[in-house]
Amino acid sequence: MLSATTIIQKIPLFGGMFSVDRSTGLEEINSWPALMILTSFIWLAVAGLLGVAMPLVQLLGINTNLFYMSLTAHGAALAFPFVFQLMIGVGLHRLGSCVGKPITGPIPALIYIFMNLGAALLTVAILMGLNISLVTMFPLPVVGVMTGQWSMNALIIGFSGIALVLITMIVLYPVQVIRMSFFEERREDLLLSERSLKDPGMLGMVLSALVLLVAGIPLLIVASAILGALYGIIPMAAIGWATKPVVFQFVFFIFAHNLMEAMALMVISAVYATLPLYLADGTRKLYSDKLANLALWILLLTSVTSFLHHFITLFPNMPAYMAYHGNIMSFGTGVGAALSIFTILATVWKHGLRMAPGLAAILVGFVLYILDGASAVVTSNVAWAYQLHGTMWQSGHTMTVLVSMSLMWMGVLYHHYPVITGREIDEKLGNLFVKFCSVGVIGAALVMLAGGSAGMPRRFADWGQGGWMGYGNLILIFGLIIGIAYIIYAMSLIKSRNLPAATNY
Amino acid sequence: MLDFLYLNGWGAFVMVLLMAVPFAVVFTYVIHKKTVVDQGPAATLPDKISQIEIGWIALVLVVFVGVNLYSISYMPTARTANALASGQDIQQVDLTARSWSYEISNRTVKAGTPVRFSGKSADTMHGFAIYHPDGDVLFTMMLMPGLEGSTSIIHTFDEPGIYTIRCLEYCGLAHHAMRDQLTVVQNDG
Ligand SMILES: [Cu+2]
Repeated sequence: MLSATTIIQKIPLFGGMFSVDRSTGLEEINSWPALMILTSFIWLAVAGLLGVAMPLVQLLGINTNLFYMSLTAHGAALAFPFVFQLMIGVGLHRLGSCVGKPITGPIPALIYIFMNLGAALLTVAILMGLNISLVTMFPLPVVGVMTGQWSMNALIIGFSGIALVLITMIVLYPVQVIRMSFFEERREDLLLSERSLKDPGMLGMVLSALVLLVAGIPLLIVASAILGALYGIIPMAAIGWATKPVVFQFVFFIFAHNLMEAMALMVISAVYATLPLYLADGTRKLYSDKLANLALWILLLTSVTSFLHHFITLFPNMPAYMAYHGNIMSFGTGVGAALSIFTILATVWKHGLRMAPGLAAILVGFVLYILDGASAVVTSNVAWAYQLHGTMWQSGHTMTVLVSMSLMWMGVLYHHYPVITGREIDEKLGNLFVKFCSVGVIGAALVMLAGGSAGMPRRFADWGQGGWMGYGNLILIFGLIIGIAYIIYAMSLIKSRNLPAATNY
Repeated sequence: MLDFLYLNGWGAFVMVLLMAVPFAVVFTYVIHKKTVVDQGPAATLPDKISQIEIGWIALVLVVFVGVNLYSISYMPTARTANALASGQDIQQVDLTARSWSYEISNRTVKAGTPVRFSGKSADTMHGFAIYHPDGDVLFTMMLMPGLEGSTSIIHTFDEPGIYTIRCLEYCGLAHHAMRDQLTVVQNDG
């Protein structure tokens, strides 16, 4: 029995939702993904509570430090150990069953340990006062120590945690995907739904691993240099190049932006793979594989340099032509999205569709993802960026992109769930989850964008200052609806029933 | 209309709705039609679908190019270049941000004459955003420490009044208190 299976059995409440069905002979593709998915939902619960804490702290007028603490912990928990870990879990499960390779050995174990230990260390550091927001705002972590906002120990613990998380995302996960895609022997007994790497449902997975590896290496080098100096292994004087804010900021956003795009590539690929399985006429074919793949390639090529839109307002330190380039490339990703939209709608139109809760979650997630894309390209336009950069608009964008992607993954998980556990989710609750989630996310997204339009700053502990508390209250209400949706999702797994006989994967 | 669209945060909000609402309507219609109304394969000819495909991509390209072309004259970067090229007198405001205040060379400027804001940061990342008295963000600048040159924008104020300055880059525990004021007076010259 795999150690991951044993761990799952020992986790209260969540363990029951994901207990691996050991009778199927598929434990080698089920175990680690199940443990990762399970743990990602524990982090979601943490992130959700912190998310509700933010507006609550402002509403009740509690200490502003507590707001910045919730803000940092919420963002960190949501982005990495929740969304990214959920993506790794479902993604690897998909990969394993499509190419017939086990998810065993040291790398999956290291992915699990590094991601969760890293996130836990970062959380400890945040509780110790290291309140640096999701994007670290370098050199704020160091300046904060010098100005007495938090301790050197908090910084070292926090950066150690971030390093572990980065190693997971930039090295371990891509290496595992590349290993499974190109190396190792195929095992027919693990092959559930064969796909070639040219399949739109598989291509995005491989592309995203390469993007993470390539776009992440510069950040990994800079972060290792800084961490080496903090540990006292490398003299501070030797790493001057790495501590230049402009160097750190650029390598950070080359990675962070492409991380989001890599996640988009993966999830759109998963949508391409899952949608055909629900076509009413049983054809299991996309409208056009070529068009679907073209969308992925356009997304890849345009996204690489669109990170420049993060620095538009740095002009003329970043020259105008680079800002325009970021502007144009960002809209270029929109062209890729337009092709995806067409592929999905043309596929559905041509073949008809059998609705199921998992598919509904995927489709609603996709709609939210496109709505969010509209807000993203608008704020990437140089004219609008000058009014929206640093406002709640961008928090709205970040929240929506993360939640919409996770919603698509949660839909895909509904589809994988019977394979992992041998049980079927409760359909009624599944549908209810999709309804609550749609209302909550659309509401929260619109309110946050509107707040940004009204000049409400992001990462800001005093919404009353400019009369923005109304937006804050609405964010709290829609946040609670999203929270209820997630509880319903958990219920749909807890109330799952044993599968009849043969599974139709 | 274009002024509202490009010079106001709510213009951006309207732009998002203009893109998102038609999409959401069409998407919902297609899904509803093919799951509830008629699950069967469509009788639409492949040629017709190809035509729609080309039309859709053309529409997206036209909208994207149009939105960005029209935006050029509203970009603060382009307006800065125009102000420099016009040879007008320019009022200079130098500023340095540090946690959590601004050192500003001149807190009173005249309406109608271009003002060049040149800013630096002395410690960590800060922002410098100017809010119109009615609450709209006119523009924001990113001030990054350790750079040789200043972040800089030329802006011409239309109306006199008390304008609020805020930092829009998270800079630590008193970030929200990093605030200042700029007075714009009538140009009587
Ligand atoms: Cu500041």
